[in-house]
Order: sequence, then C-alpha cells, then structure tokens
Amino acid sequence: MATVQVSEAEKVYILHGIRDDLRVDGRSCEDYRHMEVETDVVSNTDGSAKVTLGHTAVLVGVKAEIGKPKPMIPNEGYLEFFVDCSANATPEFEGRGGEELGTELSNTLYKVFNNQHSLDLRSLCISPGEHCWVLYVDVLLLQCDGNLYDAISVAIKAALFNTKIPRVHISSDDGGGKEIELSDDPYDRMRLDVENVPCIVTLCKIGHRQVVDATLQEKACSVASLIISVTHKGIITCTRKVGRGSLDPESICEMTEAGKRVGKALHSPLMKLLQQEESLGKKRQKVGFLG
Amino acid sequence: MPTDTKRVRGPDVSQSPFLFWSRPAEVLPSHEPRADGRQRDQVDVRPVFVRCGLVSQAKGSAYIEAGNTKVLCCVYGPRETERKDETDMKSGRLTTDMRFAPFSCPERGSWIQGSQDKDFSLMLQESLQPAVCLHRYPRSQIEVNVMVLENSGSILAHAVTCASMALADAGIEMYDLVLGCSLRQDGGSYVVDPTYPEENSWRSGSREKRGGLTVAFLPSLNQVSGLQSDGEMAEETLTAGIRTCIEGCYKLYPVIQQALIKAVRRAAPPAAES
Repeated sequence: MATVQVSEAEKVYILHGIRDDLRVDGRSCEDYRHMEVETDVVSNTDGSAKVTLGHTAVLVGVKAEIGKPKPMIPNEGYLEFFVDCSANATPEFEGRGGEELGTELSNTLYKVFNNQHSLDLRSLCISPGEHCWVLYVDVLLLQCDGNLYDAISVAIKAALFNTKIPRVHISSDDGGGKEIELSDDPYDRMRLDVENVPCIVTLCKIGHRQVVDATLQEKACSVASLIISVTHKGIITCTRKVGRGSLDPESICEMTEAGKRVGKALHSPLMKLLQQEESLGKKRQKVGFLG
Repeated sequence: MPTDTKRVRGPDVSQSPFLFWSRPAEVLPSHEPRADGRQRDQVDVRPVFVRCGLVSQAKGSAYIEAGNTKVLCCVYGPRETERKDETDMKSGRLTTDMRFAPFSCPERGSWIQGSQDKDFSLMLQESLQPAVCLHRYPRSQIEVNVMVLENSGSILAHAVTCASMALADAGIEMYDLVLGCSLRQDGGSYVVDPTYPEENSWRSGSREKRGGLTVAFLPSLNQVSGLQSDGEMAEETLTAGIRTCIEGCYKLYPVIQQALIKAVRRAAPPAAES
C-alpha cells in the first residue's frame, strides 16, 4: 500500500476535525469522494468498467470462457477473481511487491461472492457436469489513493452489468456426442442479473467515530477498519476487520449499522447511472482514460 | 526425461471418489440436535484439550484439540529481522504462516501454500497483532507457524487460540490472550463451534440466510481483534452472532488459563518446602 507520512500535529488536526464531523476535504463522516463510473472501456473484454474515486483508479475487465464445472457443484458456473497491483500505482508494487495485497483483495472478493444470491451462477451453466461459463474478473489498480475495496466493488458491479455473454446451444450429433454451437447473431447475447451484487463499504475507526471512504492521510490515523459488503436489500455478505488494531464490540455494532446504511444508499444511484449510460447507446461519448 | 509411451498413464487431474458419492439431500435438518449431541442455538462449544511446550526446539509451542480438529503451533524468535528495508524499525514484526497438512481435509490438499492458506495466515496475523507488545521488540521478528493436522471445522478460531497460547508459552510480552470462536448461521438457528460437515452443508439446500462467522477476542480487555464473516446475514443476526461468539470465547478462557499455569509450573517447579 502506498504510504504517506503524517506528523503528530497533522494527526491531531484530522482527529479533531472528524470529532466535529468535518474532514480535511470538507466532507462529513459518511460521505464519499467524487466518483466516476464508465463502462465498456476495453473492447476485447465481455464487460469492463473503470471507476475513479478521488485519485483512486480501478479498471475491471470480465472475460467469459467455457470451462468445466466444479465436481461438487455440477450445475453452476463460477467466478475467478484476480487483482493485479500495477507498478504504475506505486513503485512499491514493482516486481512481486503487490502480490501480497493482490491476494488479500482477491480472497476477500471470493468471500463477498460466496453466497447463492449475489449472482445467479445457475444461469452460467451450459450442460451440467460438462460445460459452464467461467467468468474471469480481472481487477487492475491504476492509482491508489485509499479505499481500494469500495472502488473495486463498484467497478466489479459495473463491469458485470456491462457483461454480455454469447448465447450457445447444445446439439447432439449422430454419434451421441455433444457439440456446442455459438449463436450466429452477434447481438444475441445473455446479460447477467446484477441486482444482488453487493458493494463493499470500508469504515475506518478514527478516534471515537468511523469514517467512510478514508483518504491515505486519514487511514494513517486509524489502527483498525472494518470491511462490510452489503446488497441493495441490506443483507451483509462479508465482513472483515483489517489493520493492526482491535475494536470494541460496541463500536463494531455501530460500524455495521453505519456500513449497512451507507451501502444500501450506494446501490440505487449506481444502478440508475448504469442504466442511464446504457440507454445512451452508441451516441455516448467515451471519455476513457483522459477524463 | 524419456517417457514410456507404452504405459497407460493416469489422468493428469484426479478426484476423490467421495466427491461423487450420492449423499442424502439434506444432511443436517435445522431443528434436530446436532450429530455430536450438542445443542443448537446455545453456546455449546466442543470440549478442548490443550497442552503447551510439546515441541522442544521451538521457543514456545502449543497443541489444541477440539473434537477432531487438531492444530499444532510453534513460535520462534524474537530474532533479528530478515528484511532490512522496513522503514519503521521501532517495533517488531509478527509473521504468521498457517499450513494445512495434505491429509487434513476430506479432499487432499497440496504441500504448496495456496491462496486460501495465505488468507488464513493473514487473518491469523491480524487477529494476533493487537495482543502482542511489538514495541518491546524493536528490529526483531517473531515467527508463528501453525500446522493444521486435522481439519474438523472452526479451524481459524482454534488456530488463533493455539497461536496465542504458543506466544504466551514462548514468553513473548502480550497485553492479553487471544481466543477464537466460530459460529454457523443457518436461517433462524445457529450452531457454535461447527464441525466440518456442518460448515460445508450449506450447498446442499437452497434455504436463505446462511453464513459463517469467526471472532478473535481479547477477554480481559474486552476487544475484538479479528472478525471475519461470509455468506448471507442480516445486520441483527451478525451483531447477535458476534455476541454469541464472545460468550463462546469466555467459556474457553479458564481452560486455556489452566493449561498455561500448568506449563509454567512444569517449566519452573515451585521450590519444595523444607
């Protein structure tokens, strides 16, 4: 993680500000920074999205490939997550430097999606026990400025919304063998239902309060934070304490409550935005990486 | 290397035949008592067997057994830190390594540390770090190695307890012991300290609101040092689950204390009265 040096005086300043619900950049404790979402940015993927949150920039590409279902669950497809910490983000990630953070992030993503309602995995099945769609969700960190989890989860939701999988038909030939036929029409594609895909909210404990979307400076003032992934219905699919400190049981309750409130509020504007962008169709002016 | 082309070679990937065993549709009905006779919806943890100082080469070691879950932990150090590029040398480093023996789970694992093992190691590190007085060990590192001999559920919780005992046995200065407890939520009811079949039964049915929760707790400071959950849970269930796990930790506390006292007595027997 990119590190910043914060002096004692700066820490006190940040701490006192948060106590009075006013942060250094003028936000209150439960406000996000300015967030930009753009989908369909990489043409070689089946679905992609780019999210910038403050100076944090994340690019997610989803690629669908045909694979074999897992033997325990023959009638479902599955997702694979991979997070790459590019050396662009911070020189510390060069070589194998970002590997540790990458596995931490991808393992958390597996947990976030480890339930039956986040994504309908049955719809990814082509023929039970033989073929299924495997969605490779590749996350690329382009810039780090705190709050990676939240930015990644929003980007994944947007990329999955944007994902279009070609329709396939199973036909059996004379020998009894099965053949996979791709639909001739390039527009005959399957969409995913992303309504239940959760978003992650990271709450940083600073002083006696918790803040949403902490910057690197604010993160340096806190010893422990709580990650909560919330669906639009307010169901919590994953929680996790990160950081070197510990938390009081009472404050964990407060933090989960705040996380649920913030997370629930995050979904409807995001979905509205994604549908709005979709409705523009080809007229949409692509901003890409220059925005 | 020349290969024998005449020999029929086995497939590259092999699977355990038990995976294809047709099991009864519903393994664990949610209203009946649990397979091992414990009660649902109650803080009914498995009785544990704990012992310190089994590995003579290590600075400190501990072994814990709960049901069929068997975990061994060794602590080495404090020794000089390997990495010289650490910017902050004022406090020590705690490194954790958690490994599963290949035969520890029903499906065979590999000796190479997978990403899941790395995740467990990280979780263990985050749970233990708040309890260790690392500022007392500048420029040094303390290594915690956990070996899972048999996985019969609640593995992270027992690994945390075992590791904190080993740290105490090694004489590392700590603020408090760290105790772990797991819980499995299954609709409206829950089971504390779940076994392996109880942990992995959620795929078999399609009922909603199932999830797992593991809490690491510092009992005398009343602080939660580690928290991890997955599956689906409502906010109220989650907070209630955390409280239940804390209760479970308190049940474990006297047993761990007794084992530590016994280990100290053995290491330094009280002077015989003359």
